[in-house]
Amino acid sequence: MLYQLRKPLAFVIRDFGDAASYKLSFLMQFAGIFFSMLTFFFLSRLFGGVVVPYLQPYGGDYFSFVLIGIAFSGYIGVAQHSIAGTISSAQEMGTLEALMVTQTGIPTILFSSSLSSFVWTTLRVLVYLILGVAVFGLDMGEANIPAAALILLLSITSLGGFGIISASFIMAFKKGDPLGWVFSGLSGFLGGVIYPIEVFPGWLQKCSYLLPITHSLKGMRLALLQGYSTEALLPYILALMLFTAVMLPLSLFLFQKAVKRAKMDGSLTQY
Amino acid sequence: MSYIIETFNLTKKYPQIKSYQEIIIHPFQKREITALDGINIRVKRGEVFGLLGPNGAGKTTLIKTLCTLLLPNEGTALVNGYDIVREEQEVKESIGYVVNDERSFYWRLTGKQNLEFFAILNNLGPNRAQRRIEEVLRLVGLETNGDKRVKDYSTGMKQKLAIARGMLSDPEVLFLDEPTRSLDPMIASSLREFIRRSIVEEGGKTVFLSTHNLAEAEDLCDRLAIIDRGEIKACGTLEEMKALLDKRKRYLIELEKPARGFIEGLKGVFPFMVKGTLPGGGIAIEVTVDERWRVSQVIEAIVGHGGKVVTCSPMGRTLEEIFSRVTSNRSSGEGVEGE
Repeated sequence: MLYQLRKPLAFVIRDFGDAASYKLSFLMQFAGIFFSMLTFFFLSRLFGGVVVPYLQPYGGDYFSFVLIGIAFSGYIGVAQHSIAGTISSAQEMGTLEALMVTQTGIPTILFSSSLSSFVWTTLRVLVYLILGVAVFGLDMGEANIPAAALILLLSITSLGGFGIISASFIMAFKKGDPLGWVFSGLSGFLGGVIYPIEVFPGWLQKCSYLLPITHSLKGMRLALLQGYSTEALLPYILALMLFTAVMLPLSLFLFQKAVKRAKMDGSLTQY
Repeated sequence: MSYIIETFNLTKKYPQIKSYQEIIIHPFQKREITALDGINIRVKRGEVFGLLGPNGAGKTTLIKTLCTLLLPNEGTALVNGYDIVREEQEVKESIGYVVNDERSFYWRLTGKQNLEFFAILNNLGPNRAQRRIEEVLRLVGLETNGDKRVKDYSTGMKQKLAIARGMLSDPEVLFLDEPTRSLDPMIASSLREFIRRSIVEEGGKTVFLSTHNLAEAEDLCDRLAIIDRGEIKACGTLEEMKALLDKRKRYLIELEKPARGFIEGLKGVFPFMVKGTLPGGGIAIEVTVDERWRVSQVIEAIVGHGGKVVTCSPMGRTLEEIFSRVTSNRSSGEGVEGE
């Protein structure tokens, strides 16, 4: 098992070594987290003690609601763009050929290439939550951490499927990723990142359930802010499992096809 | 005979990008350019095989196809006995590919960190990886520079690091795509020496390299294939190519100082070319002999006209001549096939 993890770990070490070598950028990312939290903290003070009925299922506090939304919505971006981003960056850097000729299979390269982005996002989420609790008074006393971790894992796998399809577009067409464009836009709009989906009319709420991020954020908020039991969170967990079961194999199949096409037309390393 | 690489009518075509006008007028018409046209070559174990050709001849396409980075449209190839299409993983386990792009490393990481990363991807266990990294760094002479960041390497050092990476998994065949392309002559020469001595003679590996440097091909390769416009025009050892390509032989004949009117008298007897005068007034002529004019008949004719032959020696063809001849016979289809 540990031996199998060496490859993903090697990618993470490579990426952190690379990122840490850009010291200013590395430190500025942490400053960015703090200032974005500050923005939402003061925004939440605007609402002050006003009771917003839409926020009641999540504890009623807008700051807590939006903090979880902002923190975890980072995964949408990572899932959607990191795999495609690493592929196109490896094409531009000239490292893709060197990677593709190694004895490591494409699914492992894909998964491992984006792993550091997920690890990095997880660190950012942790910083968000720690700062939220320590500085801004976020209450997570009743949080169901194991269930939240499960939802997080399933969110990554289900969102990752969409990301791999985006990477397939990049591999095949080099630029232009209609799925990523639509998916990111809809997830930001319908997923309930900075407002609850309950504000939508009924038909639009139903549409929002077609996106994994809706189940992910809702389940995550209920697990962390309200301490829901795993049984109570089962609808969200099952929905994310379904997305994973459909999207992951489909996306890997499409990516293999895209690689075959690139190998046929000789554009594997072109961008 | 044990062949480590065999290709069977290997053909590769690239689709060409159509203009908007063509997309509208002929939406379903495919435009393709043939990069490899029915390539048949065989490479022996433990030899340095050179693929020689002008820019755009198909050298890189052939190497990338053999390294499984491209799929052929027709035909196939065996590398170390494995089919490049159906047994991609086994082929990858048998080869090392030295990418000629110096950007193919992570420049912010050290040379050693880069090698550690690629060692893991090539399934080397931790202990073997460390041992092998030390070995290959020593092999390419970078043992004292392993902890430097790649961005601080010279072009020659990056090329050596690329070879070290290609050698990490101790492959049977090493593919090098124009390995000395951007190196200065001194470093290029030492790299050729390194390939010949350390990789082939001591390591027992097979090297398949592409180059458009004729001197490099002549100096380094046991056998050569000349490729042009996707077709193999000639293949074999340099001597085989010389012999097969040109049935006619050229001789340089040195004569004692000839009498007045001697040269004019020979004209029309057999074709020759005056190459220059010698110390003491003698002259050197170049004669091309064939079935009609054998060298003995030429000498008899010279003597018959009152000339005195001092020396008569065969002239060898250079690789440059062979290369320009086979690549200039593009339309005639003339070529030389070896193994």
